[in-house]
Amino acid sequence: MSTSEVSFSRKIISEDLSNVEFDTSEDVEVIPTFDSMGLREDLLRGIYTYGFEKPSAIQQRSIKPIVKGRDVIAQAQSGTGKTATFSIAILQSLDATLRETQVLVLSPTRELATQIQKVILALGDFMNVQCHACIGGTNLGEDIRKLDYGQHVVSGTPGRVFDMIRRRVLRTRSIKMLVLDEADEMLNKGFKEQIYDVYRYLPPATQVVLISATLPHEILEMTSKFMTDPIRILVKRDELTLEGIKQFFVAVEREEWKFDTLCDLYDTLTITQAVIFCNTKRKVDWLTQKMQESNFTVSSMHGDMPQKERDNIMKEFRSGQSRVLITTDMWARGIDVQQVSLVINYDLPNNRELYIHRIGRSGRFGRKGVAINFVKSDDIRILRDIEQYYSTQIDEMPMNVADLI
Amino acid sequence: MLLSLKAELLKKQEEVLEKKQLPQNKLENFKPHLPQKTEKNDKPEKKSFRDNLKEVDTDELEACRKSKTALEKKAQLYEHLADSAGTSELEGRFLIDFNLKKKQEPSKSPSPEPEDVSFTVDEALEVNGDWMEFTDCLGRTRKCLKTDLELYKKRDQELMKSMKKYEEIYENDSEDKKPKIDIEKPELVQKTNDYLQSLREKWEQKEQELLAKDKDIHYQDLLFDEARLHGVSYYSFSTDETERRKQMAELIKTREETLKAQHEAEERRKKRDELIEARVAAARARRRVRAGLPPEDPNEKQKDYTACLLEFLTQQKNEADSKAKELERKEREEKEKERQKQREAFVREWDIGKEKLLEDEKKFRLMTQEEYVEQERSRRIEEFAPLKSTRNKDRKSDRNFDSKGNALESNKDESSTTKTWADVRPEADSKTQYNIEEDNPNKGLYFSSNTKLIRDNVYKNFVRPQDPVLIVNELDVGNMDMSDKAVKRKAETSSAEIPPPPTFDYYGPVSKQSRSHMPFHSNLQEAFEQGVQALETKEGKHKLSNQYDFTF
Repeated sequence: MSTSEVSFSRKIISEDLSNVEFDTSEDVEVIPTFDSMGLREDLLRGIYTYGFEKPSAIQQRSIKPIVKGRDVIAQAQSGTGKTATFSIAILQSLDATLRETQVLVLSPTRELATQIQKVILALGDFMNVQCHACIGGTNLGEDIRKLDYGQHVVSGTPGRVFDMIRRRVLRTRSIKMLVLDEADEMLNKGFKEQIYDVYRYLPPATQVVLISATLPHEILEMTSKFMTDPIRILVKRDELTLEGIKQFFVAVEREEWKFDTLCDLYDTLTITQAVIFCNTKRKVDWLTQKMQESNFTVSSMHGDMPQKERDNIMKEFRSGQSRVLITTDMWARGIDVQQVSLVINYDLPNNRELYIHRIGRSGRFGRKGVAINFVKSDDIRILRDIEQYYSTQIDEMPMNVADLI
Repeated sequence: MLLSLKAELLKKQEEVLEKKQLPQNKLENFKPHLPQKTEKNDKPEKKSFRDNLKEVDTDELEACRKSKTALEKKAQLYEHLADSAGTSELEGRFLIDFNLKKKQEPSKSPSPEPEDVSFTVDEALEVNGDWMEFTDCLGRTRKCLKTDLELYKKRDQELMKSMKKYEEIYENDSEDKKPKIDIEKPELVQKTNDYLQSLREKWEQKEQELLAKDKDIHYQDLLFDEARLHGVSYYSFSTDETERRKQMAELIKTREETLKAQHEAEERRKKRDELIEARVAAARARRRVRAGLPPEDPNEKQKDYTACLLEFLTQQKNEADSKAKELERKEREEKEKERQKQREAFVREWDIGKEKLLEDEKKFRLMTQEEYVEQERSRRIEEFAPLKSTRNKDRKSDRNFDSKGNALESNKDESSTTKTWADVRPEADSKTQYNIEEDNPNKGLYFSSNTKLIRDNVYKNFVRPQDPVLIVNELDVGNMDMSDKAVKRKAETSSAEIPPPPTFDYYGPVSKQSRSHMPFHSNLQEAFEQGVQALETKEGKHKLSNQYDFTF
């Protein structure tokens, strides 16, 4: 209750919120089944068809308030169905007969925007819903044509979406909901301006939904600028790491040894599918080349590649044709490939949030996962900090790591 | 059984060839498939083979010869039986009914896989004992080891099947003729072990298809072979729209049928249960009668006092509970209502000052061609415009350049007809006109920003000081009544114009009229005076042009 009052009092005096602790709202209802959520039948069929049987914790709590039209801030562990949560809510509140953009979903990467489009189309397969991925790196003319064709939902990246709004190809007058996936990233310095630009074109008091696995305090502080008395569904940070993802580290004395360790691990990597994270695009290129020179089959992906190539690599990885992907943090958030069961942090991530997102590429929706961190001696301190911050356990990698995958 | 027999035969042949290397042994005429069919006729033959196996090598050739002659005999017999089925006197002696067989054959022969036909082993081309040549289903002549023949046959069959599948797929597509050429493409790519490349090509093609035309996009269109587990009820719809619709309808139909069936089963069960219950009740009643007890009253259920009390108490408690709950709910609802009110009153920081932006957005609409022409014209550098005189003459009829702008038209008319000439003068005008515009935002043209909107309205709705149009009207000055008509025309000139076709300049009706009224020198002096006066005012007010008043 105290938190909601805070947001009201802000109207009068801009209060310092840095000392306020944000908690899950009190009156959040828990609905244990999809059937009892009062969803339309064709949507229900889409949900079951997609493979959901019982709603996850976040789904049990968040779908209803979003459908009711409330502003919602939802946090949940990685791979527990956040995308589906807002997708279901979106589809439930759509008017399929109105061929205009009613919901706008913004996400930080093109791949994620495309994935969200896919999920919405999958869940709404029986509803005849149209969803367009409005992302950069694609043909502008095609984008305009698709939007002119009439799309119920637009899932996109901020830059292209704003461009389309300014060109008046994307009409905002019927938009009733704005969803920010990976909200903390979207409201970070790099994106906030763009989000603001888009927001200014939306009808006043548009319903806003924020979703992410990580929602740092400073993000929660600023939400009252564009949300009205939001319902918060939050997760304590010591509950943020999943039980199903086992975390290990391999201590190396020198940077060069990381490569040898990776080569030793290659057989383990290919048991199912694996993602290897580096901190820079250059390092991704370097590592990929070095692996290929040593006759290991790997593919790689980062933001400097042409979109066409990115698409192809995504498809290959999704279809299981490639099994090891070396990439940057562009892949850290949201991307869902069921078979990924191993994540390797070739470099430790630059912040605590990214760690959660990176290891969350494995262990999707209740599956098992393993995360292996390569640490130089001076990195161990950072790892211990992460360990402490999330109250989790990161042990030294055992010999039988393959058995855990 | 058949295969082993055949294998033995082949093995023997090889052995013979190896051991003796006798070219005069004309084994190449041997037809391996014949003995399979007549196998049942020929028990002694089998025996001889088995015996041969145990015998020493030297006897083998002899045995082989024997078997060969026997086989040849058998082949002859078989052919005879097959040819003269039903007429042969040997008929009935064999287990195979050749008569029936012959009847079945023509009907069967087209249906078995054609690869049997296409796959021809060409033994005449046999180079040496181990190698054979054959022609596969694609018509290619290939060579292989005899021992691998079976394997190749199998592969050939698979290839044939897969080709058929592709053909079917592409026939279903039938969107364009192109795929026909592509039929073999994936095959070839796979042959070169470049599966990934083929996948990429496939995706590329799929994407092109998606982009090619405006159509609904569904989940299936975007799946691109993704390895994803779906729910048990997952159904892979066709990517073809009509086919998809058909499948969807089918699915709905079956679902309805299932529901109906479930409902019926439920009904039936209920009925049956009722029946059983009635029977049990009847039986019980009978038993009671037999025991001499009074018949059971189903309505009266005897309860003892404590049970009654308990029930009463729980009922009371439930009522109280529900009342409390109701109260709580109401309270919460009220609170929620209040909060809702507060929410509605709340203005987000990012929403402040948004209205103006959105207002512009709302005002925006697509311009008609005419409007666009007008807009472009207003941007035109005057020096590049067509001759003014030509433009002016076109100004006869009332043109509305705003499809929705009737109001604008009437407004203009009003200003031009009811107001006196003085009223239209720019110094008084610019403000009032603009105010009218402000009052009715619909009237103006719709442009992306406010500043432009104003500028354009200025141009459209009142005479610009520099407007040169009136030079031409000089001719009309001579007109005796220089009041209404001239004023009207002047007002009209304030709007942008579409030049008439060039011929109109020379042959149009206006020029004729103006020529007739040409000479009015008497008023010219007066006009000059006024012009000078106007020049002075212009210097003062920086508005009027000398051309402007020159007309009077």
